[in-house]
Amino acid sequence: MTNPATGARPGSVALRSKVPTEAAVDTRPPHRSCSGRFAVGHGLRTWWTMLAICLEERLVYRGDFALGTLMRFLPIVTQLFLWTAVFNATNRTDIAGYSRNDMVAYYLLTMVTRAFSSMPGLAGGISRSVRDGSVKKYLVQPVDYVSYLLAARIAHKLVYYVVAILPFAVVFFVFRSYFPPLPAAATVLAFTASLALSFLLGFFMEATLGMLGFWFLEVSSIVFAYMLVQYLLSGHMFPLDMLNGIASGIPGISVGNLVGWLPFEYTAYFPAAIWLGKIRGNDLVRKLAIEAAWTIAMAILCRIVWHRGTRRYSAFGG
Amino acid sequence: MKRYASIFATFARACLVRDMTFRVNFLLECVTSIGWMSMNLAFYLLIFTFTPEIGLHTGWTREPFFAFVATGLIINSIVQALFMPSAEELTEMVRSGGLDGVLVQPLDAQFLLSMHRVDFSAFANGLIGIGLLAWAIARMDATPTPLAWLLYPLLIVCGVAILYSLVIMLAAATILMGRNQSLYDFWFYLTNFSRYPAEIYAGPWGSPLRTLCTFVIPILLVVNVPARVIAMPLEGQAVGMVLAPMIAAAASLALSRTVFLAAISRYRSASS
Amino acid sequence: MHNSNDKRTCGDALGEPSLIAVTGLAKDYRVYDKPEGLLASVTGLFHRTSRLVEALKGVSLTVGRGEFVALLGPNGAGKTTFLKLLSGIITPTRGTAKVLGHVPWERADDFRRRFALVMGQRNQLWWDLPAAESFRLHKEIYRIDTPRFERTRDELVDLLGVRPLLLQPVRELSLGERMKLELVAALLHEPEVLFLDEPTIGLDVVAQHTLHTFLSHVQAERQMTVVLTTHYMKDVAALCERVVVITHGDILYDGSLGDIVDRFTTHKIVTLDLDDTPSHERMAGFGFPYEIRGPQVILRIDRARIADVLPDILRSQSVRDVSVEDVPLEEIVAELFRSGESPATARFAEALP
Repeated sequence: MTNPATGARPGSVALRSKVPTEAAVDTRPPHRSCSGRFAVGHGLRTWWTMLAICLEERLVYRGDFALGTLMRFLPIVTQLFLWTAVFNATNRTDIAGYSRNDMVAYYLLTMVTRAFSSMPGLAGGISRSVRDGSVKKYLVQPVDYVSYLLAARIAHKLVYYVVAILPFAVVFFVFRSYFPPLPAAATVLAFTASLALSFLLGFFMEATLGMLGFWFLEVSSIVFAYMLVQYLLSGHMFPLDMLNGIASGIPGISVGNLVGWLPFEYTAYFPAAIWLGKIRGNDLVRKLAIEAAWTIAMAILCRIVWHRGTRRYSAFGG
Repeated sequence: MKRYASIFATFARACLVRDMTFRVNFLLECVTSIGWMSMNLAFYLLIFTFTPEIGLHTGWTREPFFAFVATGLIINSIVQALFMPSAEELTEMVRSGGLDGVLVQPLDAQFLLSMHRVDFSAFANGLIGIGLLAWAIARMDATPTPLAWLLYPLLIVCGVAILYSLVIMLAAATILMGRNQSLYDFWFYLTNFSRYPAEIYAGPWGSPLRTLCTFVIPILLVVNVPARVIAMPLEGQAVGMVLAPMIAAAASLALSRTVFLAAISRYRSASS
Repeated sequence: MHNSNDKRTCGDALGEPSLIAVTGLAKDYRVYDKPEGLLASVTGLFHRTSRLVEALKGVSLTVGRGEFVALLGPNGAGKTTFLKLLSGIITPTRGTAKVLGHVPWERADDFRRRFALVMGQRNQLWWDLPAAESFRLHKEIYRIDTPRFERTRDELVDLLGVRPLLLQPVRELSLGERMKLELVAALLHEPEVLFLDEPTIGLDVVAQHTLHTFLSHVQAERQMTVVLTTHYMKDVAALCERVVVITHGDILYDGSLGDIVDRFTTHKIVTLDLDDTPSHERMAGFGFPYEIRGPQVILRIDRARIADVLPDILRSQSVRDVSVEDVPLEEIVAELFRSGESPATARFAEALP
């Protein structure tokens, strides 16, 4: 989580990972004990224990938790002031279809999306377990590593939501005047669906990246490049509609159109745009379909990479 | 003080040697900083396609704004290169008891703890900043006066001093509390406020915030004043504006030193 | 345990003021309890319980110039805390101390230039630098002039045989090698006082022996005052005449190692090798604690009464072999560590029927 202007980033003493998520919600990597402490097994009970321990772990860092959750909204404050200043200097009422209020609402909503789609430590954790050999136990045991990771990640996320719901609610309440009136039920449904898909999409993308650790010793540069691209093209920095006016060099197609075909915008921009009513009707359905398609494609890719990777790993003895 | 200078030179030399040994990693760090920063520059360019200025009648049109960004890059790269690496290690030093070894040596602890490590890759951003500044000034209508050129480096040093004091106070807090992750988050969020010109903080919520961050925790003086001096014509009443960072720098350095010494005297030391 | 003519006794006898003078030094810590379990974690957000830990309970001690003193005690006894107070790393809760005429926690540069601290398993050398660079840095920091620096460095480096290691980054070396280099660095500025905190911990037997030999030699040659903390008996036995036993923050004993046996035990251990396995009634009949191991019997007989009792035993049994020994030092010290009682009460308790 790097401050782009200063290069400062919170914490991470010797890791220097410089993960570029400006207002990423869930920046702390899941504490290793959360996923590593368990004998890999099936069953709801294991999963429930996972949940309880994750929760307890979160609460142990007493000071961090109280202050940290609220502090994550601080960059939004800066953005709010920035956009106000931008609007003040122009006599436009909207930029790329977003009024000043829409901008604020947009950033807050992307925080919600990011709470679903960001997977801190996932890629790094996988590549590390390949490097230090702890992935071996998943090859031997009759448990699917990917499913296991997914279950662990769901547990971790649920715990996070429980713990973060209050600060989020407070912030959204404070800023409620910036939001348009509540959308129709169908929109809310589409929003929820897109959130669920964004979680899966983000998971499979990062898991696949992590599995490149079967081929490359250091995936952190690849992960960083991914983070960079994602940060720019996911709508995290600005609503992607702003790119619609920029020519791409291909006649008739703007940069915005091109970006629309990539999977990145579904990890931040898409659900926020749905809620704000910027994408409607057939467009909405079409984009949901694209999101689903990307999710499935990534899930399949993840599976393929896992199989190829483990084959290669076993061949070389690890 | 010559002694301190030559000790620092030894540290810096060792870090440079180490960076050059791990050349690939060093280059990667440079590239990532630059890549990261380029994206933000692209974002700013994008904004300026929709508006001519940041804030009405503030003077932060495109070129001055980029001069502002460049100043920020220069100042922050200095802090990131010279002081942050040592500060980041402090948590580990406290935990492992390395701090004990520092306290036993006949050398100022603050100096040792804030300057024993240099991250040369952080200078990459600063160099880009210089280039960006040159570009912005070349394209600006108003050229800076000789006085402005004289004041600019001085104000940059003041900005660095203010940020350095903040780093020291963070370090003092780390020494007192052992480990506290949210302190470094605090640094991130604090510096985040100074990403953009202070004029954006206007209105019923913004003005108090601006006052707070100018006079109480003077982070808005760090980049704003030198950037203004170099990018906009100086008016008569600017004397106060130019003096403010200098006073703030002196005051912050004194305050942080006091806080640091107090923290050291209360040091608990990891148990054995 | 051996007595060497090199070992100095208390400086007071020579009429010098004590180099290290400690009176009623105490250090308390407030420790916050970590919550266990989910419910405790939640309540832990609002209220945390704490307790006061008395790491050092008010100790008094004097050390004269040239003495080699061992602080012996189990983990958590307070010996490291004591050393940290003497080197000025932490400030005490109560009490006073003066080392080389300075109050340590004022951390005067003049004071810090005259002593050295070496901590086992904790590095003070700069991790990324090769040792040679660390030494040069040390020279600057301690303002050692060049000819003297080079002479001392070469002497120490050759004594410990670490010349080939000087250009490698310290983090690449083994624990034993690092320890040797730490010692060189510590002695470069020819300190008058040397504090060693568990220097042999984690070292193999050979390295420990090298350390002992080196320390003895250097201490005698330079007449350094050395205070060493350890929980190993053999460090004490090899190095010093005077041992201070610390447990639970209190000094239990301060004197020579040899006297510990006399002070803390009332009996000797008599081992009998008999022709056949004796019966319990026969052994109990003597009225002393005993232990039967096959044809061997181990009795603990009061020192005062050995001269009377032993001939009776030897006459009444068919004894192949007999040995009379002191209670092993390790056992005495271990018992001291465990009990933490004052020696007076311990002996009193033993004397009761």
